[in-house]
Amino acid sequence: MEAWRIVSYSFKKPRRLTGINWMYLSDNKKEIGLFLMIGVLLMLIPGMNAWGPDSGVFAVSSFQVSLWGKYLTYAVLAMSLNLLWGYTGLLCLCQSLFFALGGYMMGMHLMLMIGERGAYQNVLPDFMVFLGYTELPTHWVPFYSFWFSSVAVLCVPGLVALVFGFLAFRSRIKGVYFSILTQALTYAACLLFFRNDFTFGGNNGFTDFKDVLGLDLNLASTQRILFILSVLLLLLAYVITSGLLATKFGKIQQAIRDSENRVSFSGYSTTSFKLIIFTLSAMIAGAAGALYVPQVGIINPSEMTPAKSLDVVVWVAVGGRGTKWGPVIGAIVVNLLKSFATRAYPDSWFIILGMLFVIVVLFLPDGIVGLYHKIRSKFPQKASLKAITA
Amino acid sequence: MDPALVAFLMRIISRTFNTKLLTGILLIQCALCHFVVGQVESANWHSVFHGLILADGDEETFVKDLEVFGDPGISDLYEAWRTGDVYSFEQDREKIALRQMSSSSWIKISTGEAIELSSSDLESMSKLRASRGVRRMMKSLIDTLGLKAEDPIVRQESAMKLGLSQNSEFLPALRSRLEIETNKNVQTSIHEALAISLLANGSPEEILQSVETLGDLKSVPGRDFVQKLYDTEIESDRSESALSQASINTISKIEAYIGRVEFIGNFFRGLSLGSVLLIVSFGLAITFGLMGIINMAHGEFVAIGGYTTYLVQTWFISIWGIDSYAFGWYFVISLPISFAVAAVIGLGLEKSVIRFLYRRPLESLLCTWGLSMIMQQGFRLIFGAANVQVNNPAWLLGNLSVGGFNMSYTRLFIMAIAVVVVILTWLLLRKTNLGLHIRAVMQNRDMASSLGIPVNKVNSMTFALGCGLAAVGGSVLSQIGNVGPSMGQAYIVDCFMVVVIGSVGNLLGAGISAMGIGSIDQFLQPSLGPVMGKITVFFLIIIFLQWRPGGLFPTRSRSLED
Repeated sequence: MEAWRIVSYSFKKPRRLTGINWMYLSDNKKEIGLFLMIGVLLMLIPGMNAWGPDSGVFAVSSFQVSLWGKYLTYAVLAMSLNLLWGYTGLLCLCQSLFFALGGYMMGMHLMLMIGERGAYQNVLPDFMVFLGYTELPTHWVPFYSFWFSSVAVLCVPGLVALVFGFLAFRSRIKGVYFSILTQALTYAACLLFFRNDFTFGGNNGFTDFKDVLGLDLNLASTQRILFILSVLLLLLAYVITSGLLATKFGKIQQAIRDSENRVSFSGYSTTSFKLIIFTLSAMIAGAAGALYVPQVGIINPSEMTPAKSLDVVVWVAVGGRGTKWGPVIGAIVVNLLKSFATRAYPDSWFIILGMLFVIVVLFLPDGIVGLYHKIRSKFPQKASLKAITA
Repeated sequence: MDPALVAFLMRIISRTFNTKLLTGILLIQCALCHFVVGQVESANWHSVFHGLILADGDEETFVKDLEVFGDPGISDLYEAWRTGDVYSFEQDREKIALRQMSSSSWIKISTGEAIELSSSDLESMSKLRASRGVRRMMKSLIDTLGLKAEDPIVRQESAMKLGLSQNSEFLPALRSRLEIETNKNVQTSIHEALAISLLANGSPEEILQSVETLGDLKSVPGRDFVQKLYDTEIESDRSESALSQASINTISKIEAYIGRVEFIGNFFRGLSLGSVLLIVSFGLAITFGLMGIINMAHGEFVAIGGYTTYLVQTWFISIWGIDSYAFGWYFVISLPISFAVAAVIGLGLEKSVIRFLYRRPLESLLCTWGLSMIMQQGFRLIFGAANVQVNNPAWLLGNLSVGGFNMSYTRLFIMAIAVVVVILTWLLLRKTNLGLHIRAVMQNRDMASSLGIPVNKVNSMTFALGCGLAAVGGSVLSQIGNVGPSMGQAYIVDCFMVVVIGSVGNLLGAGISAMGIGSIDQFLQPSLGPVMGKITVFFLIIIFLQWRPGGLFPTRSRSLED
């Protein structure tokens, strides 16, 4: 009953809040406008790709569509971390694990869809033939179904988070200890997936996908559909997180961030709240991973190393943690910077990224969004919404 | 300073140190190994052999004389003689034998000296070959040559080889050696060899006795032979015979012994892995526990230690050369240098970055992760992405054998360093002013500050100390692992686990948990493999934390941490 009471909080709006509350999305008209505007702007990319010019400034190549699609899934990943770190105060270092798990679940389906078109012309995925399997391992069989895979994309990361979170929160592991343990979890999982006999392709992971639901993944139109799905997922993640924040549940969530002891002294079971948030965040990350894999075309254990998780943390930190759009901005800005720097200064990219960490932590605790607010408070008349989306 | 003088001083230091090390590790047996026992002076086997080569009819006496020598040169020379590299030559009306080393270099067999020959000399030479009779006499001499070698380990190996061949020809040689052998280890090996050989060649009583001897000696190589014997007994339906009973007995004895040795081996490896974890995680426990700083760059300080060791090594090679005596000591010198280098860099970082992060552990985690990336890339740019080569000094090579189990000197030395690090850290924290201040700041920063303790200075020193310890760990790691840009990353997760399990800020806890995690890891590895072993350890840690959320020694406090 306790659990149900807590879940019911997420449908109750706190009494204080007034004004427009469409789907609890926001208490701010401007923000709904911004939300729709970003959606439309992002939809422009596949539109330009489909009907735009072939060359010139407005040309959008298929490569760019899938590149930006990838950034969008990263943005969703950053949002899921922000839900934990920015709003609940749990610095989770296994977010990339959930992302990769979602990716692996989708990857399993895609691998099975290759069928006999693989290098060995076998019904089994190539790596299994290579490793000497004669029949499909039992746990792979249900992944022939797309819908089962889609459910697994959400449930497997969610289940991992639920079990781990239950053990961790129950023994009151918090703060830095939580971070360290989640880092160790990622590390352990990463070691496990690197093994060949774990039936997930070992070092090489899954690649060489052909199609999904009968759509050829190499076609530009399929990439456009995936891009649009990524935009929709981003908007959905936004609706979920900010909708949650506007409810009583969200208030408690933020109260846990600010002073967990006071919340628990007030009679709330902080463990259950944290567990629900943790699981939800893992599911969002898993969904992002599932969209990432068909757009990038490969998933392997290097996606779930502790370093990748810390990358996600830096996106959120750069964008501004505890802000609604900060993680999205951070994920896109840092990845744009990365794709620029790894080409222009391949040797110094890690130094640049490291400096970003240090500078953001020391001088920009609220990231780009915080910087924008700081500047706007100095020059109130020059404020404009464009600065956020830039 | 004069290099010669330095080398001399080092020799003295090394001598005293070496004795201390050996006695310290309590291995008198080892000292015995270095003691050359019961050797007839090996000075003149050359002349005896020379006599043999030129002998005419009295070869037998020369072969007998030659039997007392155990120099490996004998078999080498015999091989040359057999294959036709030995010539006779008349010099000053005396017949001498020469050995051709290459087309134009010759040595006198009687002395081993080189000799210059003119072209006319070459014509007067005639090839000598061992006759069939001599070859027959020499065969067993050459085969049992190793029994008389100067090095007791060679004697042991040779005895075992003769025994395992189960050739009855070698029995007399083994028996006669046993009578004059004084080294205990070699005696045991000869007993073992004799017993194994007798299993095939002895009378029924001797076989029975040998089986029992093998059981008493816990002979691992003998196990298969006894097993074979037992199998034939069973096949011929004599499972009740005294021999088969004795065989079962012996096999179970030996197997129990193998189990024990494996256990000790795992235990030893666990302790040495634990020692590395201990040194590295002590630094982490200090910065993490005492200061509340999560130093993700700790692994890079480990790498600084490794690279400093590498640089010291390069420096030693450039000054003294790789074969010099002094080179062997570069590792000992590099330990304090690594500490100092890392401590200075750590001090710089503390002053510039870390001091803004006290009481913000999550931010410190991110910031130091950034530093760790910068440092890693820095290593790649300076030293290259590949691992650098760090050699073991000669005195750390080799094994110490105790009861059939080999412990490498490197790992023993690492354990010794871990003990030293523990003692020094304990002394520093408990017996010095700085330690007092560190503990005071750790307990209550504001109160310590208001009592006049220079908190900022203490922070800097503590951070430098933690970094220095990490570098000592790295220096040690360079002897058993690779030195590369990401060498620290492999240990950092384990070390965080050590600190969490051992209760943050508790050095005793860190010590116990390092040893515990190291041992469990090593005990699980043989059955589960390294990866599954690590994963199992991780889940054990999670389960342990369910039982004791605060670690081994949680700080008892009435205040509420938030």
